[in-house]
Amino acid sequence: MTKTELSRTPRIGSFAGELPVLGAVLAALGLVLLFYSDDSFTLNTLAGTFLFAGLATSWNIIGGFGGQFSLGHSVFFAIGAYMTGNLFLKYELSPWISLLPAMALAAAVAMLISWPVFRLRGPFFSIATLALTEVAMALAVYFSTWTGGAQGFSVPFKRGLENMIFAERMNNALLMLGYVAVTLLIVCWLRHSRLGYSLQAIRDNEDTAEAAGIAVLRTKLIGMGLSAALMAAGGSLYMMYVRVVDPYALFSLFDVGVKVAMITLIGGIGTIYGPLLGTLLLIPLENLLRAELGASVPGGNLLVLGVLLVLTALYLRRGIIGSLIGLADRMKAARA
Amino acid sequence: MLDVLNILTVGVLLGGIYAIVAVGLNLIFGVIRVVNFAQGEFVTFGLYGAYAAQIATGMDPYLAPLIVVPVLFVLGAVIYIVILRPLQNDPMMQVFATFGILMVSQNAILALTGGVAYSVQSAFIGMSVSLGPIQIGLSRVIVLAVATLVTAAVALYLRHTRNGKAIRAVAQDRTAARLMGIRVETVYTLTFGIGAALAGLAGCLLSPLYTMTPQIGMNFILPAFAVVVLGGLGSVLGAFVGGFVVGLTEALAGFYLDPALKHAVIFIVFIAVLVVRPSGLFGVAGAEEVGLRDQN
Repeated sequence: MTKTELSRTPRIGSFAGELPVLGAVLAALGLVLLFYSDDSFTLNTLAGTFLFAGLATSWNIIGGFGGQFSLGHSVFFAIGAYMTGNLFLKYELSPWISLLPAMALAAAVAMLISWPVFRLRGPFFSIATLALTEVAMALAVYFSTWTGGAQGFSVPFKRGLENMIFAERMNNALLMLGYVAVTLLIVCWLRHSRLGYSLQAIRDNEDTAEAAGIAVLRTKLIGMGLSAALMAAGGSLYMMYVRVVDPYALFSLFDVGVKVAMITLIGGIGTIYGPLLGTLLLIPLENLLRAELGASVPGGNLLVLGVLLVLTALYLRRGIIGSLIGLADRMKAARA
Repeated sequence: MLDVLNILTVGVLLGGIYAIVAVGLNLIFGVIRVVNFAQGEFVTFGLYGAYAAQIATGMDPYLAPLIVVPVLFVLGAVIYIVILRPLQNDPMMQVFATFGILMVSQNAILALTGGVAYSVQSAFIGMSVSLGPIQIGLSRVIVLAVATLVTAAVALYLRHTRNGKAIRAVAQDRTAARLMGIRVETVYTLTFGIGAALAGLAGCLLSPLYTMTPQIGMNFILPAFAVVVLGGLGSVLGAFVGGFVVGLTEALAGFYLDPALKHAVIFIVFIAVLVVRPSGLFGVAGAEEVGLRDQN
């Protein structure tokens, strides 16, 4: 198209090439934890932030790399929370073990419901996934033996690493940092894998991808399964972290399903570190706004986030990281 | 027998509510294909507008449309020009932008009202009409009647007026319409404004039926999408019939299955229709492909 477009050298890179950056990012997050190691309030905020960074990174697999804007990921999050909570409550099974069936069930459910819904493209897919959230919430309220109905249920405070329940906030934060590390590592691998390239090709042009011999439906299903499984792992961690869940908290659009998409969009959709950056900016901002405005202006925190969302859609479509990459490319092209 | 009659009546009256809420979305989403998650908020504005008009002047909510409808037309047109027009080639960003508008609206109302629920007074509240053994609230009958009238008016407008023909032309092929000398941007703005105004009208008429809370729009938005898709994108008659399909489904599922599951049933039906027959019951030409191909 223009000169800048033509002279753009595609950044191919490799999985191994990503690892130093990943290591540096995780080390920086670890240092932040060390810095606040005496401040249990901040550590608590950081634990929640890291959890969301992992969730948004998981959403980004199918939403960002695959271009399938699911607004129903809270369903998989809830599957993780309910599976781990129930197995812990009824069989005292360690969450480290119940993570696995939780992830497997979420991936299976995700693939099963996505199989027909993937026929839909763009906004229609989003509308259908939103409707799925409503169905799942109604079912969660109805089947109260597993979910405690509308009141929800709680698990007892039994300290111990095997239960992922800690008295020290630092341990919670470290666990969540581990979750971020795992999701980021998987995304770094995905970014340079055949699956990742196929997903990106489908996002850029589904018909062309199909013509190029990519098994479109199968690729989307695998991407969705992976994304859902990691989302469920986050749900399991969340369950043991807050120890009390109810359907309204799990399925509330602005608490999980839409929030992960929103965070990713603002940070940089389809980039490795966009969801992390978006979370590091938005969750503390939201906590701050809630603390500052909560009493005087109820809903003020979400009001500000709504404005940010509109502005991002209008002026920063590729998010912060996407825009920075675009800027760097243009500068490189200008120098060449 | 009386049970069945009661359920059917409840379903039809509920259908009237869904039909009137969906008629504006049908123009915005069905005809000009803007995915507007903030549509429920326009209904909310109608509800609160009726309340504000009553507080300010003591006006009956059934007269409030005289003020609310023009205000929402202007609001819709402004939102389209400022926020949605720049995104017209990027439907996913429209999804996010309208979600942003939804968040701003709900939380602005929450901040202004402090979360206190409101309700309006009307001379018609408490009046009812008898239909054989069944008593029906007059407010609900009015909703049903106006839904029918508005549907007919919109259908006639789209079919016979110059502007209506322009709207249909733009919906079918934006480029060809532009080549024929239609001011495409004006048509989009006009249509979005009308869609918002109709949602405002719906809000005013529903105000005697509901207790207003900031999140009330969420109750309408997904059923409205379901109605529009069920009826067939862009089909005015379809959205009317779709309203009754959703209303009756909800009433029947609530009675025979479990009231807690009625919304789950509606949305399962909705997803099934979306996947199996995206053109809906009365799909207009080209509608069957809409959900299945990339939007431009």
